Amino acid sequence: MMKSLILILLLFSSFRLQADIAVIGNLKNELSSMTKKEVKNIFMGRTRLLPNGSFALPLDHPELRASFYQSLTNRSIELINAYWARVMFSGQASPPLKLPNSQAIINVVKENKGALGYINTNDIDENVVKILLILK
Amino acid sequence: MKNNYICLFFLLLNSIVVNADDDMRWSVKGFGTFGFAGTDSDDLGFYRSITQTQDVTNSWGISTDSRLGLQVDLKINNSLHAAVQWVARDHAGDFFEQNLDWAFLRWDINDRTNIRVGRIGADVFLLSDYRNVGYAYPWMRPPHEFYSHLAVNHADGFDFSHKIYFDDDLLTLKVFAGYSFNQVPSIGSETIDLESPVVGGILKFESGNWTTRAGFAYLRLLTDVPNEQLVNILNSPLINTGIPGIKQVIPDLSLKNTNVHYYSFGSIFDNGSWLAYAEASYLNSETNYFPDSVSGYLSIGKRISNVTLYSLFGINHSFQKDVYVPSPIFPSPQLQELSQIVNRIINNNGIDEKSVSLGLRWDFHPKIAFKTQWTHYWLGSNGTQFWQDNSLREKSAQTNVWSLGIDFIF
Repeated sequence: MMKSLILILLLFSSFRLQADIAVIGNLKNELSSMTKKEVKNIFMGRTRLLPNGSFALPLDHPELRASFYQSLTNRSIELINAYWARVMFSGQASPPLKLPNSQAIINVVKENKGALGYINTNDIDENVVKILLILK
Repeated sequence: MKNNYICLFFLLLNSIVVNADDDMRWSVKGFGTFGFAGTDSDDLGFYRSITQTQDVTNSWGISTDSRLGLQVDLKINNSLHAAVQWVARDHAGDFFEQNLDWAFLRWDINDRTNIRVGRIGADVFLLSDYRNVGYAYPWMRPPHEFYSHLAVNHADGFDFSHKIYFDDDLLTLKVFAGYSFNQVPSIGSETIDLESPVVGGILKFESGNWTTRAGFAYLRLLTDVPNEQLVNILNSPLINTGIPGIKQVIPDLSLKNTNVHYYSFGSIFDNGSWLAYAEASYLNSETNYFPDSVSGYLSIGKRISNVTLYSLFGINHSFQKDVYVPSPIFPSPQLQELSQIVNRIINNNGIDEKSVSLGLRWDFHPKIAFKTQWTHYWLGSNGTQFWQDNSLREKSAQTNVWSLGIDFIF
């Protein structure tokens, strides 16, 4: 009984660790947190500005991209790609810059005040970057 | 070993340091379609658009839908951006120049307002300037009745766009003005040059799963069809003796200095699972070559996992008033033929087309979609304006168009 409970808890916690994606920002970013809507407006190209008025630099993660947009917009990655094809190939806005991995995202966020990235919560060192939103 | 990793890490780090504030950055992106289409008719050839030179019949072909687009974007700084888009496709006239759809410089005055100067895409309908990007819409090609006669793909000039946010909703206002030069095929390998100043505007409202759009454009044609030879014949006193009054139809053979007004209204609903597109337009013109017409379509689709099943209904109907073309007063076969040719040039430009389509889009890869579509067309007796009609038919026709292909982005 006890064993299976532990097993369930273990499974649950490892599932949680994989499922949580955090939106991270530069330590000097004046914002202490962001809402899902604010993050969505930036990553979907509806605004180029952070809520405090400074320029945002959104960054895409190669492996987490599908689950990030699913959780942010409730749309599959094919629909997100088709959306960007419409926006980009009609000259309105450019999609977030795609970086090769979590470490690259952390590095760019560390160096740029307006940068916004998303990575797994277990990859975050809060001495280096700031958590602005956790998507479950 | 460890040192090597550290070196590699720093190298990587160096290559991906980006500056949010003012870094010059450029990218090359593209899109394309490889498609195969055919009909079940041997005398009625299908075009995707009236700007195409190659039709397909029951001998199938790849030129209808196949295309390859390249776009270079250059971010100069936070407020200046340049873009060039060139799409290799079957288009009448100058292959390089006519397929250059954009080459503009965009100045973002602030987050809500921008001005673009240069070559800009025509933009008064729902599919905006992504008509060529098959990956961006569910169908094999834009609805034929609505889009195939919109020959203006781009104009050289400027546009001004302003966004107004209402909480979650977004209203975009846009006005544009420019000079358009578009070529369409004529008989044989000839092309007709359409040159015109064009002005217009759009209003777009985006709210949740809905996008609604209204557009208006006005253009005045400054060029004419190559009809000098015919006009000379119709002006000759001898011909006017044989067909009294024939020279009165000369003004009806001209395209120059005619005005065209275009109005469109459309809406898209997409909640991720269901999607619906509906659009209607009215074209008002002073020329017999493009008679006044209304067009519209409705498409409903359902996504099941990565497969979209859709239906599409389209209609285009013109309201031309036939111009009276006199007949010869004595039975001469040559004069009879001349009168018939003139009559056909002026009065045989009607549009009377309806269609129903069923299709499937399968997103088997995040950047590649497979599509297939069947369309059944009903064409009225004077309604084959968008087709290559080799039969000079006097009666209505029906035909099926089948197509399959892949759309991709990169």
